[in-house]
Amino acid sequence: MSESQRAFLRALAARIVPPARSLSPAEEGRFFALIEEFLAGRPAVVRRQIGLFLAVLRWLPALRYFRPLDALPPERQDAVLRAFQQGPIGIFRKGFWGVKTLLYLGYYGRTEVYDQVNYRPTTAGNERLHART
Amino acid sequence: MPERELDLLIVGSGAGGGAAAKELAPLCRERGARIAVAEWGPKLREEEFTGREFEMANKLYFDGGGVLTRDKSMTLAFARAYGGSTVVYTGTSLVIRKETVRRWDVPGIEWEDLDLRSRKYLSENNVHLLPAEDVNDNNRLFREGCTKLGYHVEQFPVNVKGCRGAGMCNLGCPNSAKQGTHRVQLPAAEALGVETVTHCRVDRLEPAPAGGAGGAGSAGVPGAAGWLAYATVADGKVGHPSAWPPGEYRIKARRVVVAAGAVNSPALLLRSGLGARLPALGRYFTAHPALILVAQHAQPITNYHGHPKSYYSDEFAESQKFLLETCMYFPFVTAKNLAGFGAEHAELVAHMDTLQMILVLAIDPARAGNRVLLDRAGNAIVDYRLHDDVLDSLYESMKVCARIFFAAGARRVHAPASRKFLIEHGEQDRLDELVQRGELKTGKVSITSAHLMGGCRMGAGPADAVTDPWGRVHGCSGLYVADASLFPRAAEINPYITIMALADRVAERVRGDIAGAAPAANR
Repeated sequence: MSESQRAFLRALAARIVPPARSLSPAEEGRFFALIEEFLAGRPAVVRRQIGLFLAVLRWLPALRYFRPLDALPPERQDAVLRAFQQGPIGIFRKGFWGVKTLLYLGYYGRTEVYDQVNYRPTTAGNERLHART
Repeated sequence: MPERELDLLIVGSGAGGGAAAKELAPLCRERGARIAVAEWGPKLREEEFTGREFEMANKLYFDGGGVLTRDKSMTLAFARAYGGSTVVYTGTSLVIRKETVRRWDVPGIEWEDLDLRSRKYLSENNVHLLPAEDVNDNNRLFREGCTKLGYHVEQFPVNVKGCRGAGMCNLGCPNSAKQGTHRVQLPAAEALGVETVTHCRVDRLEPAPAGGAGGAGSAGVPGAAGWLAYATVADGKVGHPSAWPPGEYRIKARRVVVAAGAVNSPALLLRSGLGARLPALGRYFTAHPALILVAQHAQPITNYHGHPKSYYSDEFAESQKFLLETCMYFPFVTAKNLAGFGAEHAELVAHMDTLQMILVLAIDPARAGNRVLLDRAGNAIVDYRLHDDVLDSLYESMKVCARIFFAAGARRVHAPASRKFLIEHGEQDRLDELVQRGELKTGKVSITSAHLMGGCRMGAGPADAVTDPWGRVHGCSGLYVADASLFPRAAEINPYITIMALADRVAERVRGDIAGAAPAANR
């Protein structure tokens, strides 16, 4: 992943997964490591499609607002992202779902986030269950 | 290229391959037969079942559980592992319904026969109902919500032994409790002499030349002289090393049972050049397209502790073509299945301990156009279109689930086909207004599948089926299919026991066919 793509994903993450704004450098390293590990396991054609869609997501808003997505005010960015998510063009919706999924993977795929989201599994789940009931 | 010579090669070790291996294993002792099971995935060491979401998904599933259909509207979750998808399912074990077998309409397939064989596996795999004290709130609330609304609800029988309620069934049980083929059928088969070869992908099959592996069937029929399987054993990064050293192999086998699942079985037969003579090959793929629906309670509930799947409702199976099941997923899967993003999304996922979940399974019709095909490199592609009737079922299910959630006391409900991210308790009378069919758009709404069926459907002849009712591939000798790809239509329930019952039939047929032929070692 290029530094430019990382920067754009970082900007997207701030809108899509707001808690990602407060990741420490080490946490952010893990965030990107998970995304890159996932992409490394995908066929080259899929990686190219994702790269292309990221470019579309970044630059398509410039046709209307004369600036790339990440240079727009936050509320405008959200509006553009919502248009991608639920607009009439299926390929945009699906591409946006793919990008969201990558960001969710980077953030929620980290086991260190489990405690923050009140998810504390244990192999002895029934013991906890019986203690609660 | 190293060569191996076998009497029987079984491709795949899941519900179908594992059951077939166990049923046929006595032939090793009775007749000196050489039998091997080729499994694409690894056999994990016990300590490798960590329960960590991303790590286990990558170890156990194709594409980490996110194989996309060709039009990218749905993701498919299916495993590659010693034990196949029986390693990663929740152990739910139901016998197929009589009405479904009637709808299958396959001459020679009788419900009574499948029922009898299914019950054998219910016993063999320790299927039973969990005691009430092991049912957590997530499951109990579903039952209560359904009951209040007058919906039929049943407890799932599950195939566990010593379940400690880790709640990680879909990541491979870290307590070795789930009694999939990796715990029951494969070890039993190996004890009788069957060899399991992990990290082994079978790339293609071709009929052996006359005088080669020889002996099965009539001269002039493909496979009459046996089959050559071309396989690659990888140097796996996880799990036990394979029984065979890494490399490419040519395997001479007198008979081959293909049980690689509803994606990879048809793909293997297509790569083997059988598509031209079998027009139904790869077609009539069904998937029980699924939604993971989520509601939030005001207080924490027990959800990720305890078995995740205790109840189901078939109340709407006939009228609206969907099933409802309890479920509980992990943070990443939960996040990606919500339609939305931003602060409200993060706020919901931040309270995993308050979430109640329901899995919706649409009962999709078998359509010739929904199929497995190959890309230029020979890899499987699933070309599946979500038709309006399936989307209509999923849409109706969202409103039904919202009612169940609210009846169970949920504070708010996430309905993906709503313009609002969350529908509040006070808005439950406005569901028809808030949940809109037009908002159920592919891409916006995350649709998944873990019940992959069809592609090598059974039937009377080769014009519209791939195998006969005993799993024998039409027009071939010594070539069988024994997995969910045999299903001519959807199972309309969780399919694993039915796969085992069908594999049991196929194994019986293989035994019958072998009875007249000497093992390769004795030729």
